[in-house]
Amino acid sequence: MTDTQDVAISVRGLKTFFYTNNRCNKALNGVSFDIKKGKTLCIVGESGCGKSVTAASIMQLLPTLSRIEEGEIIYHSDRGDIPLHALERNGREMRRVRGAEIAMIFQDPMTALNPVYSVGFQIKESLKYHTDMSRRAAHERAITLLTEMGIALPEKRVNDFPHRYSGGMRQRAMIAMAMACNPKVLIADEPTTALDVTIQAQIFELMDKLKREHGTGIMLITHDMGVVAELADDVAVMYMGNIVEAGTVDEVLRNPVHPYTRALLASVPVLGNGKDQDIKAIRGSTPDPLNRPKGCQFADRCDFATAQCQAMPDETHITPTHRVMCWRHEELSGHGAQ
Amino acid sequence: MLTYIIRRVLILIPMAFAICFLVYLGLELTPGDAVSHMINPDALGSMNADQLEALRQSLGLGQPFYVRFWAWFTNLIQGNFGYSMNGGVPIGSIIATRLPATLELAAVALVFSTVLGCLLGVVSALSRGSRTDNVLTVIGMLGVSIPEFFFGLVAILVFALNLGWFPVGGRSMPGYMTLWDRLPHLVLPSLVLSIMLTAGVMRYARSSMLDALSRDFIKTARSKGIPEWRVNLLHGFRVALTPVVVLIGFRLPVLIGGSVIIEQVFQWPGIGNEFISAVRSQDYPVVMTIALLSVMAVLLASLIVDILTAVIDPRVRLGE
Repeated sequence: MTDTQDVAISVRGLKTFFYTNNRCNKALNGVSFDIKKGKTLCIVGESGCGKSVTAASIMQLLPTLSRIEEGEIIYHSDRGDIPLHALERNGREMRRVRGAEIAMIFQDPMTALNPVYSVGFQIKESLKYHTDMSRRAAHERAITLLTEMGIALPEKRVNDFPHRYSGGMRQRAMIAMAMACNPKVLIADEPTTALDVTIQAQIFELMDKLKREHGTGIMLITHDMGVVAELADDVAVMYMGNIVEAGTVDEVLRNPVHPYTRALLASVPVLGNGKDQDIKAIRGSTPDPLNRPKGCQFADRCDFATAQCQAMPDETHITPTHRVMCWRHEELSGHGAQ
Repeated sequence: MLTYIIRRVLILIPMAFAICFLVYLGLELTPGDAVSHMINPDALGSMNADQLEALRQSLGLGQPFYVRFWAWFTNLIQGNFGYSMNGGVPIGSIIATRLPATLELAAVALVFSTVLGCLLGVVSALSRGSRTDNVLTVIGMLGVSIPEFFFGLVAILVFALNLGWFPVGGRSMPGYMTLWDRLPHLVLPSLVLSIMLTAGVMRYARSSMLDALSRDFIKTARSKGIPEWRVNLLHGFRVALTPVVVLIGFRLPVLIGGSVIIEQVFQWPGIGNEFISAVRSQDYPVVMTIALLSVMAVLLASLIVDILTAVIDPRVRLGE
């Protein structure tokens, strides 16, 4: 798709299945994308579409009863390409990458920090295992990180326990933890869902700064189209374990092709259109993942469905970077956003 | 924190007073009194009612019970435990001879059960669903649900009577008082007492550990690329420890009050054994003193638990 020079992680045909009660949930059913250095890839989609599973697959942090069945996750490190999908889950090789080169921040900062250790201890923990810094140097580094994250009085705050931090501060502390070893890639799984809007803006500002100053590749999972427009360089829209449409932010937002992308965009209220504006909710609800429809997963909810949609459409490239999984992409492309 | 501790210690006094009063009241409500146990039944037949009444009066038993309670309590505050009504031995010296035996037995059992219980609980939680976990779970359930006197009797039958490895009961043979000589006596009772305590700690540690391991911060810890042992022990077990400490803390009074049942089964000359015989003979000064000691032990243990919880979990702040 693109030359591998500027790609940090490439995911190809990734299938991750969950096994519960002897049933198989194909949570990811063939997902491909690239996380580029110094760029932000936003993954959007409604709850349960596989966004978090994608992140967990890359980090090898999947639950016990799930596994990567097919496909590959290649991390293009300075030491050469590393096939993350083939590494042992909590093995030495995987641990060497985790935290040091690929770091992750989680959805709920209230529960993601260990309540019995100070924030500084938790930041220093990854420094201890990934660098050969002295204790004093690690402590200095932790303070520097907190300063960069805009925490007031970092020399004092570094020894505070998480319960003394507010929600926004905890998420900053989480980011400080994730950025401790200057990772090449930062995976953020809905980092602001639990925070209020002003804090959300600050957190995103911070992430954007990291991208610009450190060249970190960011994979941002969100369901907020406003965030996508603001931050993304590339967008991938997921639905029921597939990327139904992907491309640069301009391509996807200005020329959405897949009916699901269009529906998502139409469901966002627009500021200034008044209280009576017509917000189009997507009708129906997501199918039961254990009892999926045949063919296109969105067909039942789609205004454009035809008999053809009983079969799964292939991925088609509209431009070299813009791809979509829809039978009717030719008619639908070029219509522009509604 | 210091003011909190001082306040808690001061609260001990009225609480101990109230609980002692209730115990005294309960003792008063039981039929008979110490006199009926003091005199040998043959002699009792030849005594007339006046003589018995005179004896009661001389012991102060004729007064209303609240007067006697107050007299006992004021004596106690002055450091005077009083005398046993059976044989007139000073209660201070009874405690002094009985307490070391109880401490010895309970300390061994507590240390053993805490270490082993935590260890097995963590192993069980980390290997959840495996054969090890299932076996430990079954053993744990048996240990919790089978009464301790039954274990005691089985242990005596098998290891003392049939195999003859250990003595049937008691703390030492006459004339042999070194720790080494007494060790065989200690094995069975401490083992039986440990089984009960270990099973409880293990079950508790397991569920607490599983709870901790399912929390979000475990995933965060793992995402930092730190080794699994560190994720499990530093992040998991440390958080799982709080409820386990509470459980163990509330067993500390066994150190003072003794395990009544185990001491009976093994004829261990500890506080628990003394307590039973004192209750039987309505020897109220002894009963009251032991009750008071137990009350103090329970109250102090809960204070220790509170302090330990605050030490382990920084979110807990005392006295606010």
